[in-house]
Amino acid sequence: MTIPRSPRRPRAGRATTAAAGLLATLMVAAGCSAGGAQSQAGGEPQEGGDLVFLIDSLGPTWIPNNSSISSFQGHIWGHLTDKLVYVDENGAVSPWVAESWDQNEDATQFTLHLKDGVTFSDGTPVDAEAVVANLDIWARGDVERGINPIGLFPKTYVGSEALDDLTVQVDFDAPTLGFIPTLGYHGSILIAPETLASSAEEQADLANDIGSGPFVVESWTEGDEVVLKKREDYDWAPAALDHDGPAYLDTLTYKVVAEPSVRTSAVQSGQAQVAYNPSPQELEFYGEQGFTVAAPRYLGFVNGYAINTQVAPFDDVRVRQALQVGIDRDEILSTVYTDDWLPAESFIQSNVPGATDHSDALVHDADAAAALLDEAGWVEGSDGVRTKDGQRLAFTLHPNPYLATSQAVDELVAQQLAELGFDVDIQAYDVITYGERVSFANPSIPTYEVTRSFIDAGTVAGVLTDADNGENWFNVGQSDPTLTGLAQDVATATTTEERDPALDELQGYVLDQAYFVPLTQIAQRLYLQSPDVQGVTYNGVAYANYYTAWLAE
Amino acid sequence: MSSTTNRSAARRAYGRYAVRRLAQAVAVVLLAYVFTFLVISVLPGDPVSNILRDPQNNFSEQEIARIVAYYGLDQPLWVQLSEALSRFVVGDLGVSLRSNLPVSGLLADVLPSTLRLAGAALAVALVLAFAIAFGVRNLPAALARPLRAFPSLFLSVPNFLIGLLLIQWFSFQLGLFLVIDAESLWATFFAAVALGIPVSAQIAEVLIANLDHEARQEYAAVARSRGLGRARLFTAHLLKPSSLPVVTVVALTVGELLGGSLITETIFGRNGVGNLVQRSVATQDLPVLQAVVALAAVVFVVVNLVADLVYPLLDPRVRLDASPAPKKEVSA
Repeated sequence: MTIPRSPRRPRAGRATTAAAGLLATLMVAAGCSAGGAQSQAGGEPQEGGDLVFLIDSLGPTWIPNNSSISSFQGHIWGHLTDKLVYVDENGAVSPWVAESWDQNEDATQFTLHLKDGVTFSDGTPVDAEAVVANLDIWARGDVERGINPIGLFPKTYVGSEALDDLTVQVDFDAPTLGFIPTLGYHGSILIAPETLASSAEEQADLANDIGSGPFVVESWTEGDEVVLKKREDYDWAPAALDHDGPAYLDTLTYKVVAEPSVRTSAVQSGQAQVAYNPSPQELEFYGEQGFTVAAPRYLGFVNGYAINTQVAPFDDVRVRQALQVGIDRDEILSTVYTDDWLPAESFIQSNVPGATDHSDALVHDADAAAALLDEAGWVEGSDGVRTKDGQRLAFTLHPNPYLATSQAVDELVAQQLAELGFDVDIQAYDVITYGERVSFANPSIPTYEVTRSFIDAGTVAGVLTDADNGENWFNVGQSDPTLTGLAQDVATATTTEERDPALDELQGYVLDQAYFVPLTQIAQRLYLQSPDVQGVTYNGVAYANYYTAWLAE
Repeated sequence: MSSTTNRSAARRAYGRYAVRRLAQAVAVVLLAYVFTFLVISVLPGDPVSNILRDPQNNFSEQEIARIVAYYGLDQPLWVQLSEALSRFVVGDLGVSLRSNLPVSGLLADVLPSTLRLAGAALAVALVLAFAIAFGVRNLPAALARPLRAFPSLFLSVPNFLIGLLLIQWFSFQLGLFLVIDAESLWATFFAAVALGIPVSAQIAEVLIANLDHEARQEYAAVARSRGLGRARLFTAHLLKPSSLPVVTVVALTVGELLGGSLITETIFGRNGVGNLVQRSVATQDLPVLQAVVALAAVVFVVVNLVADLVYPLLDPRVRLDASPAPKKEVSA
């Protein structure tokens, strides 16, 4: 196996930025500044070139259904496979392998019309039969073979059938407005039926997983690297990407480098073109040196706290509302993050279609928060902590281990709330312990930190209450008829025109009741990129797409 | 006549000793296997539900339970253990719960990289240790004395710091190797330096102490009185007896080479046993961890067994009936 070598040498010049700390010193010692001389929107796309992408991990397994939800493997799947529809960073849905689609009036039956001539890399056609095989495995998995369903696939799925070679009919047992957008989710990848029918052990070998994407697997080593090469006969990219035919780049290499400072320094010295997940603190330094920093938002929930309303002190709406206005979100943005992060406007990201601006409800107002706590009967003691009937106004935050900056944000929030008379404790767990001990509606968990992507706002309805096996984020159950009614309106809407007003009302109500306390919009996938890399596109779940990218020399 | 009887008696004694040590070795490997199983089973969760519980996945508890049942992870502990153990004794290492790939293949992928790194690191450590020992005995006192501080310095500098500095200088500044080509000759060499430096410290300490001890012996005084130079005395008389205990130290550092390789492999982006362990610990991938622990136990036991079996041959003064291990005392 050959590893594509980058011929570039460290650039001349000297970093003059004085930076504190060992890692910063090391970076300065590297003495190679890009100087910001490169033009950002540069010239004609160039053919050829090898792009090296340094990543923290390659995730658990390559069984398509079991792995495509991983933040790491999603990068590779996005290049090996196509989807039925394309969803851009604003949530707009456009044709891809499905050229067009119809739906019945109550959104329970959809007909997909497929593009002709699309083939998997083994030569077999991406036809209606292949799409039906994929839909079935996404919806149901195959537990007999240890293959999961796709978690976000609508649970209302009844089945699908091939009407002819290029037409698929899909049926649901309830209105499922989110079906078409969910086809653009990073889990909904089209895989050759022969692969889908093979055993879990066979599918776990990435070389056996046949897709129809612009790249194919050249070689891979478990836990170490994946080398992709372009498919010369690729000719069915989504029109939204504004590029036809094969990719510009010859190869794409995803190489695991677990140490973040080594990843970023390797990009700085020209040994690689992209470093995934640099720490936010490093971004300004590299930005000043002319490197491109991309922090695309994904469609989904913002970063924030879902509040357990059955647990004291949050069983009192006034205490929840005090939390809602007592947190200074601007200070979080300016202290922990950079300009690439945006303030939350609702509890769903502002690029989700149907999201509306409720920033008025999130304005920091310490006086109002204090008044709410006074009204609720919490009296400030000599140590600055409020008490009521001998109880202290105390609760514990559990930083989200899936988000590197979560602990820093929680520490800041704890300080801010301490000034209001809260006593906030922070208990951090690793991913495994967190998964075991922290969950929604657990009586010992007063707040649950949410980070979750989705494609369609209809997903929201399924988390607010426990109706229809909902996740019941706020432990309200169905005791709040307003919440249950609004969630029901969103879930059963048959058109977005009908759904949007209900969704707007729902967002306002959830924020007003302070069931959810948003912090910031989330940018969970960060990219530090050499200025040579041009034309990168980001889809609705913030994955970088190098099909459209080229290397400028 | 009596010398023949003695010789065959000695051979029988050596045979009994070898068999006893071999039986101990097998027991150690099996116990390590069972112990790993029990320790991991005490921890919360299992690899399958840990992955499925990632909030991005949106799986219900029922769905998670169905998949967990497929992997037999809902079975009682003793059922899982007896199944794993009966597979292990016939050489079947099972399938990774995380990646669904055969464990034997995963090990085969990473073992060569780690063996190259550990071998090169041991060579670096030996060269460094002998160079320091030579300097200490042969350089003028003003230079030799600070040199004696090197081993403790080597031990106190963290391995990852040495690694990061080496990468910064030799890869990012001088371009001698590429971090994305972690298995290249130069990349392996510098990783071996990072890993070998702390290991060399212990070897150097033992070597220096033994050289000091041997230099005080009568034969050394006699040799000096015959007018032998420092360097000649060192190579011809002191080095051999002082090097013997190094065999024991090297056997003991094998564990350190395997353990230290995790950090070095992570920093240098190498795909070795250490990285496999890290990935498997993070997901509690029991079949992989058990196989790696068994492998480590085998390596450790074999290396020590070889050292124990070789020692009586090198040094006839070692008594074979002494138990536990009849190693020559290391005068460090």
